[in-house]
Amino acid sequence: MHIPDGYLDPITCAVTYIITILFGIIAYRKSKDKLNPELVSLISVLAAGIFVAQMLNWPIPGGTSLHFVGGALAGILLGPYIGFFIMFLVLFVQCIIFHDGGITTLGANVLNMAIVDVLVGYYLYVLISKFGKGDYRYKLIGAFLGGWMGIALAGLFAGIELGLSPSFGFPLGITVPVMLGWHLLLGVIEGLITAFTVGYLFKKAPYIFEYGK
Amino acid sequence: MKISTRAWIVILALLFISPIFGVVLADMVGYHEPLDVAAERVGLEDWSEEINWTPFFDYTVPGLPDEIGYIVAGFIGIIVILAIGYIANILVSKRR
Repeated sequence: MHIPDGYLDPITCAVTYIITILFGIIAYRKSKDKLNPELVSLISVLAAGIFVAQMLNWPIPGGTSLHFVGGALAGILLGPYIGFFIMFLVLFVQCIIFHDGGITTLGANVLNMAIVDVLVGYYLYVLISKFGKGDYRYKLIGAFLGGWMGIALAGLFAGIELGLSPSFGFPLGITVPVMLGWHLLLGVIEGLITAFTVGYLFKKAPYIFEYGK
Repeated sequence: MKISTRAWIVILALLFISPIFGVVLADMVGYHEPLDVAAERVGLEDWSEEINWTPFFDYTVPGLPDEIGYIVAGFIGIIVILAIGYIANILVSKRR
């Protein structure tokens, strides 16, 4: 899902950068009072974990692959604003150090994976958990659907950005169904990993979830 | 065992097995990023290699075989993330 340089036109690049910067300012304002050394250490560990998890590309015969993205997990664990910073840190390091995703398209990649994926994952989890009145099974279902829909809608946004860019050459009518359909299919695995990790941490380290409230 | 210790054990274990997925199996199935395949069909160029700014392009390390380079690149990524976290920690501690 990391869009490289050259695939998006300058207007799409600029608009996605502006949205990302504005969301970053909101996220900082909303989370600055929560930030303490312990939480910053936790952010670093989670970012390192998600970074390594993204290196595990599972190749699929036919020449494509899937890997865990982790945006929904970051949002569910530490809330949408701190979740944004975790994913931003991962995407920034991937772009600057490894050229994984372009620098002109960093705004779009952050929008898809650090904003859309995180927000969708977090709010679906919260909604379903509330519906289940705190029942552990509902939390797992919420984490699964959050992980799944988070990545599917991130794929949808990537499809819209590519389809709106005349330079990419495929219209919205092709990019949106392809990106959404593909991520809906592969996103089931993202949902399962998210639910498994949330379930494990809920039993072993429930205090982590306090930061996300 | 503390949860952070467990987390680091899992992270390092995943890092050491990562070349199996990111390099060996990827080569076996002839992996190409689907976006790149689509772009190639319409003659679009990925500028990444022309305007590259890093020696660690695509998780490789100059002079090392791809499998070892992938692990070393992972270590470099973790160190950079922790370094940024360390600086943020200092700034947050001063502010408080």
